[in-house]
Parts: sequence; structure tokens; C-alpha cells
Amino acid sequence: MKHIFQHPPETGTAKAYWRSVEDFSNTEQFQGWLNREFPQGASEFWGDGVSRRNFLRLMGASMALAGLGLSACRRPEAHIVPFSKTPEWQIPGRTLNFATSMPRRRGGVPLLVNSYSGRPIKVEGNPSHSLSLGKSDAFAQSSLLDLYDPDRSHRFVKAGSASNQEEFVKVLGELKQSWASSQGKGLAVLSEDNLSPTEDRLRAELAAKYPSSVWSYYEPALGSHDRAAAEAAYGKGARIKLDVEKASVILSLDSDFLGDEATLSSIRGFVQGRQVENADSPMNRLYVVESRYSSTGGMADHRLRLPASRIIAVAAALAKEIGAKNLPIFPDLPSLDIDPGWINEAAKDLIAAGSSALVVVGVGQPLQVHLAVLAINEALGARGNTFQVTRLERPDSVSLTDLVTKIRADEVTDLLVLGGNPVYNAPADLDWTSLQKSVKSVIRLGYYEDETSELSGWHLPQAHYLETWGDAVLQEGSHGCIQPLILPLHGGLSSIQLLGLLLDVPAGEGKIFVDGPELVKETFMRKAGAFATIFDFENAWNLFVRDGFLKDSAPRVETAAFAVSGTVVPATGREVSPAPLGKDNLEVVFIADSKVDDGRYINNGWLQEVPDVMTKLTWDNAALLSSKTAGELGIYSGVQVQGITADGVYYSDVITITVDGRSLDVPFLVVPGHPDYSITLPLGYGHEKTGRVGQGVGFNAYQLRTSTAPHLVTGATVVKTSAKRHDFAITQEHWSMEGRDIVREAPIAYYKDNPGFVRALGIESHTPENKSFYKTPAFDYVKYHQWGMTVDLTTCVGCNACVLACQAENNIPIVGKDQVKKGREIHWIRIDRYFAGSQRDIEMGKGIIPSDPEVVLQPVMCMHCENAPCETVCPVNATIHNEEGLNVMAYNRCIGTRYCANNCPYKVRRFNWFDYNQRQLDQLYWGPLGPKGVEETVKMSKNPNVTVRMRGVMEKCTFCVQRIETAKIDHKVKTQRTERKIPTDSLQVACQQACPADAIVFGDLSDPESRVNKLKKRQLNYKLLDYLNTQPRLSYLARVRNPNMKMPGAELVGMSLVNSRIHSHGGHHDVHGTSGDKPAEYSTEGRAH
Amino acid sequence: MSEQASSYFGPAKGNILERRPLVSNNRSMGWVTSHIAGMLESKTPVWWWVAVVLSAVVATLVPFELIYLVSTGVGIWGSNQPVSWAWDITNFVFWIGIGHAGTLISAILFLTRQKWRTSINRAAEAMTIFAVICAGIFPAFHVGRVWMAWYLAPIPNANAIWPNFKSPLLWDVFAVSTYFTVSLIFWYIGLVPDLATIRDRATGKFRKFVYGLFALGWRGANRQWRHYEKAYLILAGISTPLVLSVHSIVSFDFATSVIPGWHTTIFPPYFVAGAIFGGFAMVLTLMIPVRAIFGLHDMITRKHIDNMAKIIVLTGSIVGYAYLIELFIAWYSGNPNEWWAFLHNRVLPSAPYAWAYWMMMFCNVIAPQLFWFKWCRTNIIAVWIIVQFPNVGMWFERFVIICTSLHRDFLPSSWGMFVPSINDILLFVGTFGLFLFLFLLFLRFLPAITIFEVKAVLPEADPHYRDPHAEGAKH
Repeated sequence: MKHIFQHPPETGTAKAYWRSVEDFSNTEQFQGWLNREFPQGASEFWGDGVSRRNFLRLMGASMALAGLGLSACRRPEAHIVPFSKTPEWQIPGRTLNFATSMPRRRGGVPLLVNSYSGRPIKVEGNPSHSLSLGKSDAFAQSSLLDLYDPDRSHRFVKAGSASNQEEFVKVLGELKQSWASSQGKGLAVLSEDNLSPTEDRLRAELAAKYPSSVWSYYEPALGSHDRAAAEAAYGKGARIKLDVEKASVILSLDSDFLGDEATLSSIRGFVQGRQVENADSPMNRLYVVESRYSSTGGMADHRLRLPASRIIAVAAALAKEIGAKNLPIFPDLPSLDIDPGWINEAAKDLIAAGSSALVVVGVGQPLQVHLAVLAINEALGARGNTFQVTRLERPDSVSLTDLVTKIRADEVTDLLVLGGNPVYNAPADLDWTSLQKSVKSVIRLGYYEDETSELSGWHLPQAHYLETWGDAVLQEGSHGCIQPLILPLHGGLSSIQLLGLLLDVPAGEGKIFVDGPELVKETFMRKAGAFATIFDFENAWNLFVRDGFLKDSAPRVETAAFAVSGTVVPATGREVSPAPLGKDNLEVVFIADSKVDDGRYINNGWLQEVPDVMTKLTWDNAALLSSKTAGELGIYSGVQVQGITADGVYYSDVITITVDGRSLDVPFLVVPGHPDYSITLPLGYGHEKTGRVGQGVGFNAYQLRTSTAPHLVTGATVVKTSAKRHDFAITQEHWSMEGRDIVREAPIAYYKDNPGFVRALGIESHTPENKSFYKTPAFDYVKYHQWGMTVDLTTCVGCNACVLACQAENNIPIVGKDQVKKGREIHWIRIDRYFAGSQRDIEMGKGIIPSDPEVVLQPVMCMHCENAPCETVCPVNATIHNEEGLNVMAYNRCIGTRYCANNCPYKVRRFNWFDYNQRQLDQLYWGPLGPKGVEETVKMSKNPNVTVRMRGVMEKCTFCVQRIETAKIDHKVKTQRTERKIPTDSLQVACQQACPADAIVFGDLSDPESRVNKLKKRQLNYKLLDYLNTQPRLSYLARVRNPNMKMPGAELVGMSLVNSRIHSHGGHHDVHGTSGDKPAEYSTEGRAH
Repeated sequence: MSEQASSYFGPAKGNILERRPLVSNNRSMGWVTSHIAGMLESKTPVWWWVAVVLSAVVATLVPFELIYLVSTGVGIWGSNQPVSWAWDITNFVFWIGIGHAGTLISAILFLTRQKWRTSINRAAEAMTIFAVICAGIFPAFHVGRVWMAWYLAPIPNANAIWPNFKSPLLWDVFAVSTYFTVSLIFWYIGLVPDLATIRDRATGKFRKFVYGLFALGWRGANRQWRHYEKAYLILAGISTPLVLSVHSIVSFDFATSVIPGWHTTIFPPYFVAGAIFGGFAMVLTLMIPVRAIFGLHDMITRKHIDNMAKIIVLTGSIVGYAYLIELFIAWYSGNPNEWWAFLHNRVLPSAPYAWAYWMMMFCNVIAPQLFWFKWCRTNIIAVWIIVQFPNVGMWFERFVIICTSLHRDFLPSSWGMFVPSINDILLFVGTFGLFLFLFLLFLRFLPAITIFEVKAVLPEADPHYRDPHAEGAKH
């Protein structure tokens, strides 16, 4: 009867990061304690004679304990300890961390999730996985809110009315009988592609059981050309794996590999080549040819804006220059109107870099471009260095188009829709809505009762990845584990559970669905079997669950020969039009939105409210176009970025975009740096039916999208829709730095000639030293920690991971579109984006939108000024300095005069204008007349270590003071109060922890060994608005670019601030150490890497 | 009587220019008493009822808006990030500024022996008190958590946390509350002899009792007069620095900050001048109709109005000078942020709030220059119309300082716009209702002109009046 615990044994190699009592876990005393089920008396209880009194007492106690945690904990079968009997390592008030993975269409992201009393409250990257090393991204960070989304589907629905699980099982049983007799004829499955090995295994079993059944995947934003090209070049199942960190020269053809198409490793790889320790540090170089201004374009040393449908010409020219073999046949296109030197010099640079060169291509580009890029990379000799070929074998599936053909031919009677939302996002030409109606029975598993559910006979609630067992192919190909941290909050199912039921996998006594890890374990056993070294499967499984992935399971690098047969001549389709682009022949580029992706995160308020890094648009999508295009179309006058109404709100007229007879009414945004005659349409908005957050937000670009041209289409026309106006909620209205020394940058060659340029750019360089009668008390660097931070502007790619990590960590509410429009967003960290002008853009000075600007990004949060302007003005001492240099907020003391916010030169203070945590966002103005309180599940997502602020108080970045205090307390306990300070860099704040580029570094300035101290000693280190003598603890490392001096226009790259400082005062040379009235010159020799 | 004679109106008669009497038409002491007391003893006029009901209705906006504000949140206003203060503090400074003229007239003009003050000081002081009441509403209620506003008081609470004595906002609390208290006492002390007059004239028992209660047993005895005059002098002495300090301290809210457009050393004198400017404009705005309605032409003579118009043109020019110096220093300092705040936030036509800046410039600097022309000072209708410009302009001055400086400061990423919400507007309108309501009550229940002081400037009050020996002494 005695329960035997099967704790995963400690391995000698890996450190057990996530046990909060890790330091004691190996002591004999602890092990002994661990092996006892009950702390005292209970184990002895069974052996000895039992008195009735003792029996009742212990049973009573156990029952009482059992009642405490049942509601929020899943009772696992054998291997994790149910919280109903508090596990030994559970310390009340402390978090437990569990490794898991977040499934994505490009592969899972390895995660470590913090759980507090059975509630997952924070998602972090898995530090033991090489892909993550503890880093994560915006989607992973915000997935926590999806878990607690009260609008998620929470019931079985039959034909629009509530039903239950039993009835569904009965119906399914009948269906299964009919399939059994017909070999599954008429059965079709349409699924999202979660890259789950278990799903693949069950799919194969399903195909074996019902040979006539069909399986189809549909991922609207997942391009197919990259895989098709890889398979054409290297055989079936081939995948391309990039090693960006090995690349010294990178050319991107419309690939947002640092933004929307990024993986954690591509960002890390890229920034590893940009660690500018000093002027001699090697730097990689990035050329970008792209359409819309993406994060990758923002990081570029040389950016060329081109309509997406013209990039194929660059690929062709480049392939020719580089001498690539086995090229596809390119269509005849009008010649490019660009400086031929651009391609010429870029090609030379790539050739010079040889095997450490890399050309990447975006998902939306035509197949020819993908093939050409493979050929170019092969010709450069990059294979084996900057990119590899691996293989991922998967069972066969049919395309969505094939499935549609079958449905049209009445070959499908029963359709299973696993995830996805085809009614909303299927290509418009397929007319999926009527197709789905024509299928006899449709069973749909989904997160929301959405458009697809409405047209399905059955809707089943889908479980979140934090609620169920599963597995995933991680982004670099290894086998990742998905383990639940909480019982399904709304009784949801995963797709593999449903498949298990379909395949009659025994679910265990009294159960309908397999709710344990059996299905995943089975897959694991088979997979692990491939590793001859693993004999102890049980132990290996435990390690797998504990680590979150199977070590060394990434697919091997292949050496298959590059062989594109000359016959591969893909149809260009509508993607590339031979006719020149113009205002009557516009191209439309469909992209996955940077926030709601393909629409799956539409109900996630965190993602809705985080500003897009380039447009700073929240709660919306819009057609992005250039000022020239908008001007020619007659929809825009061309002076300001957008119209501003008297109430300070950005708006645009609504335009109608028509392609092939389909049209869409959508507002537009003029974006600097956007190519002419190209319209970028982010997908994922305009849902007709979803949760309350996403309902009616934005415009559905899927209405224009066809199966033949899903990413890029030409031949679009635009007319202005009469008298319709759309308001935007944009968090940054002004796009120019106005020549101020805010983001300081220079090319590396200039830096080499002017090592002190960073300081010379600032006002403080020519203002007299601040003198004060008042002696500010010095900070004690011996006795106390002194916290500080640096943000590296060279490596920040603007991925928003920090913003969302901060939101999750610090219980920051969302405020809704209306409040963002009023300028009341409440993020503690924001990413400022400035378009930096250069001499190419004389328009800049005239307030006209620059057509071809550079972009600089700057994360800004509380600077924790030692001489803080906010502190002196607070009349009630609610914001003060502590002895560790933190500018702390006492929410209890704050009465909300907002004087501090006014006097903060960095404008980082945020005010609770309403009770955002208590009131519904659409009824803020109703005050006490509106409903009060929030959904229970939303409360569950809050970090218990951070106060949830009420209305009327000011808040701002605290440098994650709760993390600091926890670390200090832990260390104090561990060292029995013998040590005063925590070890060097043993603490990370939330934004730093999430940052995949590692641009944010936090640490102890009193520790000479700390990373932050070393970074602050760099020449590039500067303080924002230093002349105000605020003495900020946060400093920036200036941005350094690495232009190729032979490129056209190279002398201006990264020079905008330097040049504008020289010219700003009519010949007065602001930049010390430069001379001449003309733009500053510096040695123009190209720098080697 | 002064030996130096001058003429205010009309050609001089004879060789010696007579000083124009402060009370015209040779009114007797009895006439003064009965005329002023008559304002509150006569039958309540219909216009008063109409006005008081109207203003009371408008004044109810104040409690309505405050209940909404406190129950729902400061978000009902248009303030945002970066403009965290907008109409709330604009209105506060505006009303506080208006509250300046009263005490200035009472105290400073008293100390400088400006006898023409006597017929306007009472009403001006009342105006001060009502304006400070209206002003106080804004800082008290603009905070996010009004129920915690007692943290501003220097009470060591359970946590032994004191207010932050470095914060100008705390200085404000002390300055404004001190100013209000002293002004109230000063006003009340000045009222005592007149309250006794009303008491003595009262016919009803209740009336006699109430006025008697507040008259504090005043009998007009010599000892009482001696004590009174000493107390009044002392209070005038205390009030005088307060007139200068309160608006200086209000200006510190801005001057001590780091925000370009706020961070200006010129603010204290500039604010004080502006406050006197705006205060006198409001005194004229109120007194000209009161004078007409109650027939006070003999006591509030054209000379009074002329004097006040001159003060307006003086202070208006000081304010205009301050505007220009501010602009010059912004350029001369070489601080690009400072210069930007003036040039691009205010002055240039492309500045988002240029209209407000130029409105301020016109109303405060240009329009009062009309008072250089005598016709403008003597035509009562013209005076009343011209003083509306400073009333409007002084509100815009505060709006320009607060809003245009905040909306675009150091980091262009955080620039924004401010637009008032309907609640901003209604609360402001409500305070006008409250102000007028209180002023109407004052007119009806208290002597609006200081009876005994006006009597003291009559020729009869001169001990040598009609003294044959004195006739020769005049020359």
C-alpha cells in the first residue's frame, strides 16, 4: 500500500536547476526525508499496530491536506507527485519549475515554467537546452495568458448547443463502427501542424487502421516553398538548418530571420557576431533586400527596399555574380531600378567571406528564389559551416487543396478538424465555408468557439499546452517533452488524446481519454530505442520529462549532394508579375502578424497591446505602404506620418484593396522605408467570432488570399472608400529623434577613428560640469549591492520578448485600445523606434516621411537615477531610493499626484488612470456602475510576489525587486547569514532573462567581476540625457554598424546622428574630434571581420 | 491731503489741480452707511434670485464631477502620458492667481496708504477667498487616491513616514492653506465693525442675533478701535509676504522641475505679476456690474476703475516682458531641448499648441495695451470688455506652461497630445458656478464695501474739515 515515489534520479552531469531546495537535495538527511511519504509518524504507522484513534487522526489529516490543492492540480499516474498530498519539495511561497515545450509550426520552443502552488505563473526558456539557454520569445512569454484566458472554449458543443463528453463519445463510437466497416472511407482529418512525434505516430496508426482515411495539414502562415526547395535539392524530408553564428556576411532576401521568422538560435547566432567590445572587435555584416521594413531590415548594415515580387531579380543577379550552378529558370522581368553596384559589391563581399557567408530567404518568396538561394549558398561553400542539411521524415499527408478536391467530389463524409480555424483562414478561392457545410459530420477541436466551431456538428474544447501531455520536434530538431503543469482548466483535450480515443488506446480504468503520459511515453520509448546507449528506459523517460527534451536527439547533419534537376521549373503563378508595378498593378504581401501571428493569438490581450516594433501599432492591423504609393493613389497628402485628429488620435481613411475580384476594406498606414507599389497586409485579424478580447479587432486579410498565391500576389488595385475613417492606437507618434543624442550610433570605422565618439555626441560633452552645493550622499558599495543595467543597442532586434516578460512577471494589466489611443499604455518597458535620416533623406528635415531611412531601436525602462527627478517632487515620499541604488515605489504610500511622471525626463512612469485590474476594459468609464472583479482564471495568472496595483497609483519598472529580494533571501539562508552578497551574476531580471539577443544585462555594480560592470567600462557606454545629472543606473551601449565602404551610399550608413549634430547649429561642430562643414568623414576602407 | 495735485479727469481748474475726491458728489457719512447697508437690507431683488439659482445649478456640477472622479478614476479626464497634469493644475493656478488681487488690495495697498482701495477691498477679498476655494478643489481632487490625501499632512503616521519636504507640491499645500487661512482671518477681522453696523440697524430678532454673533460684541469703543487697527495692521503685514509667496511657491511646482519650459528661474516674479494681473481683471469683471446694479458710482468711482486699469497695463507689460525674456533665454542658453520647447511646442505655426500660445500672447500682452488710451480706461463698457482678455489669457498662460511643456519633452518617442474630456470642461465650468454662487451670497448677506473705511476717506473724516484755520494751511 505504501506509495513509492519515483523521483527522477539526480544525474551526475546536469544540475538540477529547478528544485527550489536544490542545495539540500543531495544531503543524506533530505534524501531520507524524501523517501517518506508523510513527514512524521505516518510511515511508521503502517508497520505497527494501529490504534483506532491514530488511524482516524491520520486519515483526517490526509483528507484535509487532500482538499487543499485538488482544484488546481492534475493527479498524474505515477511519476509526478500529486499536489493533493503536498510534494516534499514544495515549499509554500516558492515556485517550482518544470521543463516543457511550446509547440509552434516551425518547431517547439523548450521552456521552463514556474509554478506557484500549482499555478503556472511565468514562462522562461529552458536553460539546459542549447536552443534556448534560458531565453524565450514574445509568443512563449504571452502563452501564459492564453492558458488563463476565460474566453477559451470550456464545453462540448453539439450543433450549437451545449452537450457533454459522454454524448460525444457515444456519437464517436457510432462513427468508429461505420469507419471500421469501410476502412475509414470518408474520414478526413484537417490539422494544424504541431510537429508532434506522438501525433505523427498516432497518425500512422490511424492510417493503418483506416487505410482509406485522409490526413491534411493546414498552416496558413507556414510557407511551403522552403521545404519544397530543400526537398528538390536534397531529397525527401530535407530541412535546412542555419548556423547564423558562423556567418560573417549575411544577405537576407526578404527574410525576417530576426523578427517574425526568427528562431531563438537565429537571433542569438546573429548577435554573437555583433559583440562590439572595442573598435577592433570583429563584426558580421548584414545585407537586407526586403519589402516592408522588418526587424531584420532594422538591423541591416545595408538595406535595399524592393517590392517582394522584384526580389527574384536580385536573386537571379546575385546568383549570376556568384556563379551559382543548378539554378532554376527565372521568369523574364523588367530590369531593376537599383544601383547595380549594390548587388555587385554585396556579391563580392559574400564571395570574399566564402564559407562564412550566408544567404537567407523569406518564406513568402517564390520557389525559384528558394532554389536560387540554395544554389548560391552551395556555390559560396557555406554548406557545412553556416547552413546544414538535416532530415525530418514524416508520414504522408495531403495538401489542403487536395482535401478540398476530395470534399468537392463527395469523398469526405466525416471531417475531423484538429485545431486551426479554416473557416476563418482558409484561402478565399477554396470557399471553405460552403465546403465544410457540405460535409456530413464535422468534429472540431479548438481553443475557442469560433467561426469554424459554428459550422461544425461537434465542437470539443482544446487543452492548452500547459495542461496536457505531448511532445514536439523542437526548433533545431530534437525531441521535446510537453508536460502539464495544471489540470485542464476548462476540461479540454489535446489532439493526441482525441486520436487515442479514435484508435481505442486503453485509457485506464474508468476513463475515456488517456490523460497520462502513456501516449507520449510510447513514442519516446520507440524514439529512445534508436539510441543504442539508452538501456534504462524508465530512467531515460524521467530524464526526458525533467530536462524537457531528449539529449542529442537532433537529427544528424547530412551530406546529400546538391542536385536540382533542370526540370524543376516551378510555375511562378501570381507571385511575380511580368508587368511593371505601378499604382494600377500593386503587389500585396501577406505576412503573419508580429503579434497575433496567423490569428491564433487574437484573444491574447498582452499580444494585442504590445506595439509592433516598426509601426508601433496596437490592437489593429493595417495595410502598410510607402508615402509615394499613397500619394499616387490619392489617399494621402504626404506631410505627416498619418492624420492626427484634434483629439490627438492617429487615423486613416479606409481603402478598398481589390485583387482578382476579391476586395477588402482596410485602413492604411504609411511606413517609412516601405517599397513603392507594394502593400503589406498582416494576417490574423478581423475575426468574426472569438473571445472578447479579439472580437472585431482589425481586418481580415485572409479574404484576399488565395491558395495559388498565399504570400505574395500582384495585380492589386486600391480605391479610397468614401468617408470612412479608422482610428489607430499607436504608442509612438513621433518617428524622428530630431537630431537629439538619444540613440547614439556610428559605423565601426568611425568608432575606430573616434574612440570617444559616444561621449562627444552628447550635450554633456560641452556643458560645464554640474556643481551643487548639496552633497548627495554616496552609495555604500561595500556593504550593499548596487544594481545597474546596460542595454546594448547594437544587438537589440526589437522582438518584444522583454516587454511581455515584464508584463507577465510584474502583473502589468492591459488597458485596451481606447486607453492606448489616449496614451495610457502601462508597459514598464517600451521599445522606442526612431527612423534615422541620412543625407539621402533631405525630406526628413521638412517633416516629410523619409522614403529610405535607417531605423534605431531603444528599449527604455526606469533608469533608476541616483539623482532621480521623480523622487524630489513626490510630496508623500512614495518613491525613494533604497541603499542598493533602486528607485523604489511604495504603492501603499502613493496618492497619485503624477508629479513624478511629469518630472521624469525618460517618461517611464505609468499611472493607473482606472482600476484596470478590477474593471472591464469596455466599461472603465462606468466606474462603480460597471461590474467589478475579474475572472478567477485571470487572477490565477498573477505573480504572487508582485503587488497588483489599484487605480490612482503610479507604477514603473522596479528592476524586478521581487527577484532581487528572493535571491538575497535564498543566499542568506544558504550561507546561514555568513555572506552579505549574492554571487556574481546569479540573478536575472525578467526582461534580461527573456532577451534572446542578450542585449539587456543586469547586475551588481559593487561587484567588479559582474558582467554589467565590465560592460559599463566599454567606450560605447553612455547615459541617456546625461547632462541632466540624473545619474541613471541604466546605461546604453551605443549602436555600431558595419557598412561595407564599397557599397553605394555606405558613407552615410550609421552617420545620421553624427552628421545631424554637426549641422544642427549652423557650422558649430557639436561632435568633438571631427572637422569640416561637410558630413564627417572617416577612413573609408572596408573593415575586415 | 496730498500737497501734490493732479488731475484725473477734465481740464484743471485754476492754477492748482485738485485731487479728485475718492467719494464723489459730496456724499455724507449717513448716506454711505445707509447705501451700503441697503444692499443687504432692501427687499431681495428678482435678478438676485435668478442669478443665484442659475449659479447654484452650475455649481452642482462640482460635486457631481467630483463624485464621478473619485468613484471612477482620474482617467475620466483627458490627462495621459506624457501630459499627466492638464486642466486640473491649469485651473488650480488660474484660480489661485485670481485669488491674488484681493489680498494685494487689502494688505499691500493698505500698507502703502493707497486710500482708493477702501471701496473695493472687501469685495476683492471675498473674491480671493472664493477663488482659493475653487482653486483648492483641483489639487485636492486631482490625485489618484483622494482618500489618502492626508498623507500630505505632516503627521507621523504608524510607519513614521513624513511628507517629503523637498517636494514643491508639499510647499504648495502649506502655502495655499496658509494663504487661505490668513486671507479668511484678515477678511473677517475687517468685517467686524461693519457687521456691528448691520447688527445695529437690524430690525428682526434673528437677524440681530446672527450679525451680533459675528460682530463679536463690537461697540465701536476707543479701545476696540485701537486694538482693531493694530490687529489689522499686523494681519496686513502678515498677508503681504503671503501675496508674494503663494504664487512664487506655486511657480516652484514648475520651476524646480527638469522639464524644458518649466525649468525656469524667472517663474516666481513672473507668476506673481501674472496673478495680480489676472486678479485685477477679475475684480473689474465683478465690480463693474455690481457698481451698476447697486448704484455704487459715487464710491467706486471712475478713478478706481482707472487705477485698476493702470495696474493691469503695468502687470500685463511685466508679464509680456517675462514671456519675451523666457523666450530669449531659451535661445540664449544654447540648450537645444529648452529652445525646442519654446520654438516647436509653442511659437511656430507648426507647433501643435501654437494657437494657445498666441492666444495667450494676444490676450495678456497685446489686448491690455489698450489701457494706454484714456478713452479705454474711462469707458466702463470698454474696460469690462478689455479685462475679459486677461481673464481668458491668464488661463491660457497656465495651460501653455503646463501642457505644451509636458506634451513634448526630451524623448520624441514619448511625445503625445492632450485633449480635454467633457469632464475636464464640466468641472471647470462648475467652479465658475460655485464662485459666482458664493459671490452672490456675499453680496446679499455681507456689506460688499467697507462702510467704516469709506467713511474714513470722506472729507468730513478729516479732523480739520471746515476748520477755518486749516483753510490757509492748504497752501
